[in-house]
Amino acid sequence: MTSTALSEDRVDRQATPQRSKALARREALAGYLFATPALLGLLVFTALPIVASLILIFLHYDLLTPPKWAGAENVTRLATDSRMFKIYWNTLRLTVGVTLFNNVLGLLLAVGLNRAMPWGLRYVLRTSIFFPVMTTTASLAVVWRFLLTQDRGVVNFLIGQIGLDPVPWLSSSAWALVSAMIYDVWKSCGYLMVIYLAGLQGIPAVYYEAARIDGAGFWQQFRNVTLPLISPTAFFAIVISLIGAFQIFDNVWVLTEGGPGDASRVIAMYIYEKAFRGFEMGYASAVSFTLFIILIALTLLQFLGARRWVHYE
Amino acid sequence: MSKLQTLSHQNMSRRDMLRIAGIGTAGAALAACAAPAAAPDAGAESEPAMEPVTVIATTSMPVNTFDNALDRSMERIPGIAMEVNANGWGEGGWDGYSDTLLTRIAGGEQIDVIMIAIEGLRLLTAKNVLVALDDFLAGDAPANEILQNDVHVTLREMLQVDGKQFEYPFSWNNMVMYYNTAIFEEEGLDPPSTDWTWDDFLETCLAVANVTGGADDRFAYSFWGAGMFGMAAWYFNNDVSPLSDDWLDSNLLDPKVAETVQFMADLILEHKVAPSPEGWDEWAQFHAGNLVMRTCGRWCIGGSLEAEFDTYDIQYQPHRAGPLKTVAGTDGWGVSTSSENPHEAWEVVKLLSDTDTSIDMVQLGGNIPALRSVAEMPVFSEYGPPSTALFYESLDFAATVPSPTNFNIVEPILNRNYATIWNGERSVEEALQAAHDELQPEMDKLKA
Repeated sequence: MTSTALSEDRVDRQATPQRSKALARREALAGYLFATPALLGLLVFTALPIVASLILIFLHYDLLTPPKWAGAENVTRLATDSRMFKIYWNTLRLTVGVTLFNNVLGLLLAVGLNRAMPWGLRYVLRTSIFFPVMTTTASLAVVWRFLLTQDRGVVNFLIGQIGLDPVPWLSSSAWALVSAMIYDVWKSCGYLMVIYLAGLQGIPAVYYEAARIDGAGFWQQFRNVTLPLISPTAFFAIVISLIGAFQIFDNVWVLTEGGPGDASRVIAMYIYEKAFRGFEMGYASAVSFTLFIILIALTLLQFLGARRWVHYE
Repeated sequence: MSKLQTLSHQNMSRRDMLRIAGIGTAGAALAACAAPAAAPDAGAESEPAMEPVTVIATTSMPVNTFDNALDRSMERIPGIAMEVNANGWGEGGWDGYSDTLLTRIAGGEQIDVIMIAIEGLRLLTAKNVLVALDDFLAGDAPANEILQNDVHVTLREMLQVDGKQFEYPFSWNNMVMYYNTAIFEEEGLDPPSTDWTWDDFLETCLAVANVTGGADDRFAYSFWGAGMFGMAAWYFNNDVSPLSDDWLDSNLLDPKVAETVQFMADLILEHKVAPSPEGWDEWAQFHAGNLVMRTCGRWCIGGSLEAEFDTYDIQYQPHRAGPLKTVAGTDGWGVSTSSENPHEAWEVVKLLSDTDTSIDMVQLGGNIPALRSVAEMPVFSEYGPPSTALFYESLDFAATVPSPTNFNIVEPILNRNYATIWNGERSVEEALQAAHDELQPEMDKLKA
């Protein structure tokens, strides 16, 4: 703020109470006007669908014929839906796996790229790692299916060259989820790398200089300077990647279609299946709400837990 | 001093600046939300021109199949602006196609003319999405004449529900065995005969396969591993079906179903002459000579034409028990109940089902035309392998692909459970029992 504006502001504050109130009202109005587009978007695209979804839980609705009252049928059905529990178990394993590996790999890549190196190499490396993030999932999945197919797949061919048996990457229940995890980490860790890189570049160099003067090596600097100072960034990255992982759909859809059987099916696919294949909008909404509640609970837990390990300067 | 003058003072504070910007932004947003003013009518004085009625058709086929039809429409039905768009297949075959279509219709999208095959027909009629064509046919003698005399009765009846004609047949498919003639010749094998058996087939597979896990692997046969149509080609040749004859019950516990599935699973797991279907690109491998035989309909000719691959021929599926059968399924064009211009839509249905459009499809290597007259034209043999006549002549012993009203539920259940057989995780009996346990309650809902 310039000194002129500051002095004018001070004069404003010293004006009569009536004028101050009028100014405050105008300021509030301006603030509301600024926020209105975002609020409208939130209302139309988030709040209303949530309310509609909540209402749908108590209805039988197939999109094409008028809805019928279902009472608590869709809710009670949740308790007996063994497929849903199996699919939640898949989702949980996938979520833990991709959140962990995306963040660890994203951080390591960011630390690596944050070191001194020729600008050309840095540019090439950053672009290469971020490139999968920019490419459409469907095109990449076609390539990965070619790579991972059991018979005549490129990866199995290479594995065979070192004398190992082919791995049923996409066709085995044990491996399908692992394949989906590998694909997601390869595709998404570049995004987290960028976030961590921004966090690393915000750490003042003086802290490292001080640490070096105190005789700290690379690992001690990383543990005692980098990690604490990057913890707000890490917290943000973990929260968004965890929520994103719970909502993974396209990566698994195009790679394994949830198979074999339900071995790699995740909850977002199950919600889609119930809503747009079975046209059971009521039950799909009930399943969606379980996901909604789980995500809220996990996010709250993370915020509570963050007090112990997130350090703000 | 007016307020405006105060705000326009050159030492304007940041708050004032923000206020103005906020008001300006809000004003711009409101202006953008407001309905645009009517454009000045340049021709207000002149006679209003008759706008053509837009009729939108949606199809399962590549939309370029209808490029020539669009050109012809301008001349033949000048009052109609015809559009053809593609409807997505979702994750599966006609089940995914039907789901996508219903979602589009529920979303309020204008779709006047609908292509659907028998697999999705009952679902669409149950949802009241299609208009019965009988009234149109009653008032259109030429179209009815073609339907009655140039379309095989089996195809015609496949697109009827409760005796009403809901779709005008356009094309159909059966499933035949494609085989690489060059490899057969190289291995000194005679072309398979019309009445070849499963034993003959297995013997052939063992003779042509060369699978060692290396870069030169050659598989004898591959199948989709999913899909009612592909599996029915095998079931029917063992005189069994996965559903009861009335399509109202599961028949998965019939021992012949298990026998059929076991035979197919053994090709992958025991004899190792077929690849695991997951991720396997049958088209590319067949054209590259890494796959010797595959089961497919006429539409696979399209891929071979594109790949300029012509060392192949076709034969009926190998046979096990009962009368020789082939699976068949028909698609056609129908009028949507949501169409505001059903009469114009009917004109489009006729144009998209006519001889010229059928020839366009044949030339692109698409399905078998429903019009017998087109299947008898030289062009039909010209764009196909030497034994291409098999495609149409099988109609006399074709059995309809099981197509219950809940086809979109049935097919995914079967596919999920088949997958656990092909990967060897469950025995055929376990997987079929699990599929039956899941399927039967869904079939019972049809009887409620």
